[in-house]
Amino acid sequence: MLKRPIYVFFLLLAGGLMIASISGCAMFKGPEYSEIIYNHRQPLISVTYEYGEIEIHLPLKYPGARPNNLKFHVSSRGDTSRKMISVFQEASDQFIVYLPQGVLDTDSESNLIKIFPQDPDFIPVNVYFKGIQFGKVTLEPASIVMIPLVVDGSIYLNKNDSSLAGVEVSLQNYNNIITKSKTDNTGYFTLTIPGKYKHAKYVQLVAGANMIFKPIKRKLDFSQSYDLTVNVGLGPSMSLDDPLYLTNKSNVHFRDKPDIGSKTLFLLENGEIISVQRVTPGEYYGSIEVDVGKGKNVLLEGWVYRNDLDLLQFDDLFKKDVKDATSL
Amino acid sequence: MQHHCKKIFFVYFVLCGLFAQIKLTVNAIPKRAEVLLDGKSIGKTPINKGMITTGEHKFEINKDGFAPLTYDLIVNPSEAVHFDFFLNPIYKVKFKTDEKGLIFELNGEHRWDDDLIRLKLEAGDHMLRVFKLGNIIDEQTILVDEPKTFRYFLKKPISEE
Repeated sequence: MLKRPIYVFFLLLAGGLMIASISGCAMFKGPEYSEIIYNHRQPLISVTYEYGEIEIHLPLKYPGARPNNLKFHVSSRGDTSRKMISVFQEASDQFIVYLPQGVLDTDSESNLIKIFPQDPDFIPVNVYFKGIQFGKVTLEPASIVMIPLVVDGSIYLNKNDSSLAGVEVSLQNYNNIITKSKTDNTGYFTLTIPGKYKHAKYVQLVAGANMIFKPIKRKLDFSQSYDLTVNVGLGPSMSLDDPLYLTNKSNVHFRDKPDIGSKTLFLLENGEIISVQRVTPGEYYGSIEVDVGKGKNVLLEGWVYRNDLDLLQFDDLFKKDVKDATSL
Repeated sequence: MQHHCKKIFFVYFVLCGLFAQIKLTVNAIPKRAEVLLDGKSIGKTPINKGMITTGEHKFEINKDGFAPLTYDLIVNPSEAVHFDFFLNPIYKVKFKTDEKGLIFELNGEHRWDDDLIRLKLEAGDHMLRVFKLGNIIDEQTILVDEPKTFRYFLKKPISEE
């Protein structure tokens, strides 16, 4: 019976002490302000950017000759007056350049690599490209070529200076055709070949391969110029009088006398012209023109078998088979 | 069909260019602060493998016991961007005075008239104004750099216990 009141008493005492201590602490500490008070001090923040590199690879091709060295100018955003970098290097198969991030135009192809071959015979090349922010980019190959060689001129008939249309003209290195074309209606032609032939020693213009006359060959010298004008006359000159005959095969003997065993002055090629002055039952006597250089010709007289000659018809100056094969 | 595919690829590459991903790392002092990027949580610091796009962004850094930090910026095109945020701590401070009839104001907005009060203050300078009968009678700057108790005496520099 006594235990219960004592138990209750201790409980009440403990509760009272707890309340007293709590209220006592609050009294001692004081009230707490309801909000955190900020002074909005500028925070300390560090921002660091890490920029990448742009690695540009430009493959280089040399279809003909290769210059010793190349100089590269790299500019961006169409501003060629201020190049970002200039590089001088050997003419290798690839140009590699590193640029800082963000210097290239990434919206359009306004970035430029200008290539200057260190040889006057080569053409500078402009490579426009679209940039990237950073990373590696490989551009389309650029071709480093020499300045092309151009030959133009007119083909005319020696007999009357009239222009000849449809005459085949070609440029040959030794006897290998580099390019060929035909004269237009005014007798004009133009031929272009790669610049690598600039220093070739046996480049020649061959005119009239599709004519009944012997083709004319002119050796060309590009050492002083990339452009040459060559006018070529075909056929018999005005100094050869009618009737005119043509050799109908190669290695026709042009002899000093009609007799058997007489001396052969020349072996004529197919299409050589002879101005006939005398006729015998088996031979013709006449004159041929011989080129002695510097544009001068001399007339030489001699004998040719009749079977080796055909009468020259001016109404059709083209070879039959060639004309048919190349007719437009 | 081929034309259609080209269009899709074109749009894809344009979008890739516009929203190029940039590596993001975020550190904070103290560690384990929560980072919200444009309102979305991207984890707690340190964040080492985050990604971000170029352009405008908003960072919010939160950690208990420190003032929340908000930072707006325009991220430049780059390979990576690193952020270091230094959070400002909040200290528990007691403010006592034996003067009577005074009203205290901090930073122009927080007022009390108790002679003993507990405050939570962001570290740094705070502007204290003292009013009596509606008039400013004192103005001082108090520096909070640790938990401490300030004792105020009228028209004397505030003292620390």
